[in-house]
Amino acid sequence: MSKEVNFGATSLPAEQRQALGKAKRLEWITIAYMATCVAVVFSVMGSSQAMKAAWIEDMLGFVPSIAFLAAVREAGKPPSPEHPYGRHRAVASGHLAAAVALLIMGVFLIVDSGMGLVKGEHPPIGTMHLFGHTVWAGWVMIAAMFYTGIGPVILGRLKMPLAEKLHDRVLFADADMQKADWMTAGGTVAGIIGIGLGLWWADAAVAIAIALSIVRDGWSNVKFAARSLMDGRARTYDSEHTHPLVAQVHETLVHQPWVADARVRVRDQGHLFHVDAFVRPRDGVVPAHRVEEAAEAVRDLDWKVADVSITPLLQLPDTHDVPDARADQQ
Amino acid sequence: MSRASRGLAALVACATLTACGSGGFPADPNDTKERIRSSKQLRAGVSPNPPYVEVSSPDADPVGSEPELITRYAATLGAEVEWTVGSEEALIKDLEEGKLDIVAAGITSKSPWKSKAALTRPYIEDKDDKGKTESHVLAVPPGENALLTDLERWLDTHGGGQP
Repeated sequence: MSKEVNFGATSLPAEQRQALGKAKRLEWITIAYMATCVAVVFSVMGSSQAMKAAWIEDMLGFVPSIAFLAAVREAGKPPSPEHPYGRHRAVASGHLAAAVALLIMGVFLIVDSGMGLVKGEHPPIGTMHLFGHTVWAGWVMIAAMFYTGIGPVILGRLKMPLAEKLHDRVLFADADMQKADWMTAGGTVAGIIGIGLGLWWADAAVAIAIALSIVRDGWSNVKFAARSLMDGRARTYDSEHTHPLVAQVHETLVHQPWVADARVRVRDQGHLFHVDAFVRPRDGVVPAHRVEEAAEAVRDLDWKVADVSITPLLQLPDTHDVPDARADQQ
Repeated sequence: MSRASRGLAALVACATLTACGSGGFPADPNDTKERIRSSKQLRAGVSPNPPYVEVSSPDADPVGSEPELITRYAATLGAEVEWTVGSEEALIKDLEEGKLDIVAAGITSKSPWKSKAALTRPYIEDKDDKGKTESHVLAVPPGENALLTDLERWLDTHGGGQP
């Protein structure tokens, strides 16, 4: 039997345990691969703005990988008196850090390339020596872009299903950005061919387009990371829909024979959900073991639901609506 | 196919067509190399920096290793050299504005002009006063990549030193 792996106090099911191991391996591979990309692109980038943009994007590729590895390490520590909820917020914090980095670099690149375009800077690309031949450096840059463009697309596709299994937003953001990386590489190739054709503006124009996509990625990630830190209602790993568990928790509670009505608050702490439930017992009283059973039934719904508190009340708070199980799903 | 990928494919196709059509790749946005060839005149700017560039009198042609290189390179394009003598700053400005085709002033690869002009790959290495290695370069208008690559290739075989 393999070693037990935890997120906080929750022992992961076999499927998640394997997914976590695989995701960690993929992130280490990403870090090693990106290190080679950064070196390759730096050595050939010359004065192309688009290459510079691609290089900075490669540098930023480290952020989500490191954020993920750091976050799962933190999240794996059990709750303690100092950290009674565990350390699952490490995920959202890492997510926010990665997103802010993306956003700032995108803005920097737009300004940098925009200035070049306005001032009419013509990027010079000369020749270089390669294996005893003198070649136009543009061809070498294009080759470098193929090298840096292929890896992320493969890694991104491998990571995406793991992000869903682990309900990990940092991993999702990482996979999502990597899947789109080929566009950066392709755009840069187009910019360099543009320079070769004497279209001096092509390069800066492509760099701005890349920068805009970085800003867009950054902005949507900042939004979702902030939403999570602000205790927004739990959403799916890709932030697209309200998480189905929200409705399931509610249904589970109202189906308890002693429960007349219930309201639930489900927030995503990062991997794990924290459920706050308010229930109105039919007769106004409920034995403690019934409450415990109900909590157990909620926990049994999914490995992600670990921290459940149920408060019996005579008057339910009307601030949170009953979630519609069908709304906002697919 | 997404919009981005269609746009990219169109650009690559367009690039390939233009490349096949006009011959020169990489091309000069301002056709500097073609102009030198057709006008049979290469406009070179030099600033005194012995032994690379020496100017004895305002009327005489400059001498030194770099004017000599430029004269020989101009010949490969079938052109004569028209010399302008000035300060580095004034020459680089003319280069940026397309009033000169090449600048020689004993410039090294560490020159701050590299953001204003296109510097060639180092064509020769030398020691400065303190015995530190310096890599010498020539400057051409920024982004005139046909001229830059042609000059670099020529310097590889005729520059007289290991780059």
